[in-house]
Amino acid sequence: MFDRKNVMKLLALAVLVSLLASACVATPPQSAAPSSEQPSAGAAAQPAAGGEQITLRWANIIDATGQEQWQAVVDAFQAKHPNIRVVSESTAGSGAAVYPDVLKTSMASGSPPDLFFMWGGSIAQPFIDAGQVMELGPYYAQYGWDGKFAPWVVERIKSDGKLYGVPYHALGMGFWYNKTLWDEKGWTVPTTFAEQEELCAKMKEAGMYCVSMGGKFGWHTMRVLDYFLEHHCGPEVHDQLNRLEVSWDQQCVIDSYASFQKWVDNGWVVPDFLTISPDDSRFPFFAGEAGLVLEGVWYEGVLKNNEQNVADYDFYLPPTDHEPLRFSAFPEQWMIPSGAANPDAAALFIDFITSPEVQKQFPINDFANSATIGVNPDCNEWPLSCKWREIILTAEDTYPPTDQAFVKELMDGFFEVQDAIVAKRLTPEEGARLMQQRAEEWLARQ
Amino acid sequence: MSTITKTSPNHRATHRRRRLHLTPYLFLAPALIWYLVFLVYPMYQSLTISFMSWDGLSANIRFIGLDNYRRIFFEDDTARLALWNNILWTLGTLLIPTTIGLMLAVALDRKLRGRTALRAIFYGPAVLPLVAVGMIWAWMYNPQFGFINYVLKAIGLGFLARGWLSVYETALPATFLTAVWGGVGFPMVLYLAALQAIPQEQYEAAKMDGANGRQLFWKITMPWLREANVIVFSLAVINSFKTFDLIYTMTYGGPGRATQVLGTWMYFHAFQYYNAGYGAAIAWVIAIITLVMAIPYIQRMSRD
Amino acid sequence: MTATTNSGANAKSLHRSASMKAEQRFTDTVLYIVLIAMAIVWLVPFIIIVLTSVRSMGDLISNGVFAWPKEIVLSNFDRAWNIGNFSTYFRNSLILIVFKVPLGIVIASLAAFPLAKMQFRFSNIIFVFFLIGLAIPIHVTLTPLLVMMKQLGIQGTLAALIPPYVVFGLPFQIFVMRGFFRTVPSELLEAARIDGATEWGNFWRILMPLSAPALATLFIIDALATWNELLIALVLISSNDSRTVPVGLLQFQGQFSSQYTQLMAGVLISITPIILLYIFLQRYMVAGLTAGALKE
Repeated sequence: MFDRKNVMKLLALAVLVSLLASACVATPPQSAAPSSEQPSAGAAAQPAAGGEQITLRWANIIDATGQEQWQAVVDAFQAKHPNIRVVSESTAGSGAAVYPDVLKTSMASGSPPDLFFMWGGSIAQPFIDAGQVMELGPYYAQYGWDGKFAPWVVERIKSDGKLYGVPYHALGMGFWYNKTLWDEKGWTVPTTFAEQEELCAKMKEAGMYCVSMGGKFGWHTMRVLDYFLEHHCGPEVHDQLNRLEVSWDQQCVIDSYASFQKWVDNGWVVPDFLTISPDDSRFPFFAGEAGLVLEGVWYEGVLKNNEQNVADYDFYLPPTDHEPLRFSAFPEQWMIPSGAANPDAAALFIDFITSPEVQKQFPINDFANSATIGVNPDCNEWPLSCKWREIILTAEDTYPPTDQAFVKELMDGFFEVQDAIVAKRLTPEEGARLMQQRAEEWLARQ
Repeated sequence: MSTITKTSPNHRATHRRRRLHLTPYLFLAPALIWYLVFLVYPMYQSLTISFMSWDGLSANIRFIGLDNYRRIFFEDDTARLALWNNILWTLGTLLIPTTIGLMLAVALDRKLRGRTALRAIFYGPAVLPLVAVGMIWAWMYNPQFGFINYVLKAIGLGFLARGWLSVYETALPATFLTAVWGGVGFPMVLYLAALQAIPQEQYEAAKMDGANGRQLFWKITMPWLREANVIVFSLAVINSFKTFDLIYTMTYGGPGRATQVLGTWMYFHAFQYYNAGYGAAIAWVIAIITLVMAIPYIQRMSRD
Repeated sequence: MTATTNSGANAKSLHRSASMKAEQRFTDTVLYIVLIAMAIVWLVPFIIIVLTSVRSMGDLISNGVFAWPKEIVLSNFDRAWNIGNFSTYFRNSLILIVFKVPLGIVIASLAAFPLAKMQFRFSNIIFVFFLIGLAIPIHVTLTPLLVMMKQLGIQGTLAALIPPYVVFGLPFQIFVMRGFFRTVPSELLEAARIDGATEWGNFWRILMPLSAPALATLFIIDALATWNELLIALVLISSNDSRTVPVGLLQFQGQFSSQYTQLMAGVLISITPIILLYIFLQRYMVAGLTAGALKE
């Protein structure tokens, strides 16, 4: 038991502690403020001119491991430009799902970073349409960025012929498999769509699943559907579908949905995957229960993080039965907000981190899939990224993942149809019709 | 405050009237000011936005009156599904975690060995950060290696095993089960705190009169828990309609849109579909529905 | 459910006392078994966290989440603590809790007092006005809040979290404290008033001490909510130096892969202070004070 006096003491203590803490909490921001507020005010007047202190706010999705590696690059930049302090504002998280939301809020409230990471296509488009990002033509001229990056990547990030971003990554996707396991079973890499399906059937006979995917955010499942669309519709129609130039309610789309249902029905896909997170969909693959995952060039880094022996693994481009053999690929880029406090310093930083010299000097994971020409990963250290590099830089043509072709709202409509097809709540015909209806509704609202 | 402290016993009567006149507002002032500045003002702004068509990003903003609200109720199938899911969720929350919470509180109010540890365990889920909850329950429900299917198979109920979160029909109940796991602690601690206020003499006296356990519970415990009940039930309604976190982390509204609730649908529109106006309108629909249900209840129960 | 019978036996006859005791023992045993079984179910996720945090990534991914670790690896804790500023996030969250929680609860209790125990004209309207804050989803207020913090010049700093954290706790805390204050008999306050006590004195000397269990409960609820709050912290705080633990935990997940083992080690580290706080506050969550006060 305790009496009132004790309670009073406790409360008094709590108030005292809170007052003390308020003193503590008030000091760091105030002492930090002069170093960040003052210079940015000065910088706005006379940006990037030597002398004034500039704090460069750099928004990205680099996770903890990546931050550690990037530190050396940032340090080198700061050593070269002692007046610029780079502050990393990273928003990682599974699938980087919250990053666009955080970025958007910072822009809407008028406090954008100085430069930020962005995917390509329709994910970047709203920022361009809203006039929130700078057109970077002048910087391309100033720093001579033309010809510095893989051409298809530059094409892919253009909007109405203008460049609003600087290429960062050139990423392609393919089927990854466990070579050692396949050799053991006598399986070989398929070269046609029919062979691909035969292979899946063989895996099923061997008591395995063919593909493992995680449907939670929709985009992981989408990759397989994109592959079917490329196969059934062919490159030309596939591109037109992505641009909504032709109707989705057509035979090749129905065939793609039908193939998807067939793969699920035949037990070729690890079942009940609709809300499995893409990360978790790796468990069956690593455990040898599934033969394939449809992943990108980054997967070599994933293998390493998961303590797998990279020598056991390899990848191939899914056979589409079309010439040229296109695969899913997408760019990632750096953008500068129109409201950035230090656009010149941001451009300077972008030039630094995308330059071949710097990327060669610091062979960190994030540079293994660089969009910069002339940067190649160490082929002993990164054999598969090295192999990818060859394919990506010489690719005649690629197709974008649908989520970089459609705006998010329409995309979620696409995902909804995709899920319904998997769960057999819609027939392929109904799916194609509903998808076309969604597209028309969306177009009507524009 | 100074006027109050000066009050001398002699002039008590005259001063008291004035004191009661001003005093409430003096006590309320800090909370009211804080509340007006940091919540009412942003709320007012979001209310304004709900009458606009706006992408939340550009300067292109247009007044469209009640169009957003009309769209929610008459055009948007997903919003209607979300509303229905919210209603189911609310009914479930009113029934299950609150009852379990009350039972646990009553049980753990007794002098039981290890009751401190038990209380901590049942309130434990609240300490876990959301990212951990989402990940672990995804593993618990995993169709291949998940713990739940494993247990079902082990006790001979293997035919029940399924991909709980990936099946349209079971995704919402499965998510709700996680909410129960995470949600019994809150009513439990509130009821426990309320039980502390019950004078033990009342039990002694009633027992002298030969009352049995059940009578004690219904005649003494429950009436004393009235205020706690008001809090627990009205919060159950309000928070159920605001449900967002668990759905967002566990199913992301899927499969399809089977587990969309108004909270996630609002978030998707406001933050991902560039429909800030529509998102704000959904938020106000959530607020109005809950207030219409909760306020009359709170008011009636507050009357002495 | 049998009722709360904390008090000792006061049987009228020996016979009845014996049978009641046997019955009591039986119900207690059943109750105990049920509680323990439930506790085990409730603990399973915690066990997974511990198991995941003490194994290697390779072991986890090839043997599965629910397998026993092949080898106990403690390096995850070291990595979690040292990588990505985790110690900074930890310090930020601690500062936030120590400052914000008492401040919010005191403000809320002050407001709850007149709403529960005084009669004045707008009492009802003000109470309902506060309840509106309970019903609005916080997401739609984020952009206006960010603008406001920018105007206050504290945007991006830890201090920017205090106004919204306090305000989002207020409606709930006022609601709860009002409820608990109402259970305190008005005669106590009336008697004190007759003895010349001020309302200010009544609040601190009668209401607050009598509400110790409620206050401790609110304290723990609010501390937990603050410690685990993600969305506001994510949006209002941009620089890595000012971030809090839940935002920091996101950094163990990248765009393409998750460091499950480090994440779970980070989770374990992050929940430790909260568990300590709970154990400490547990003492104040017991025993009816009202009864004792009434007798005086």
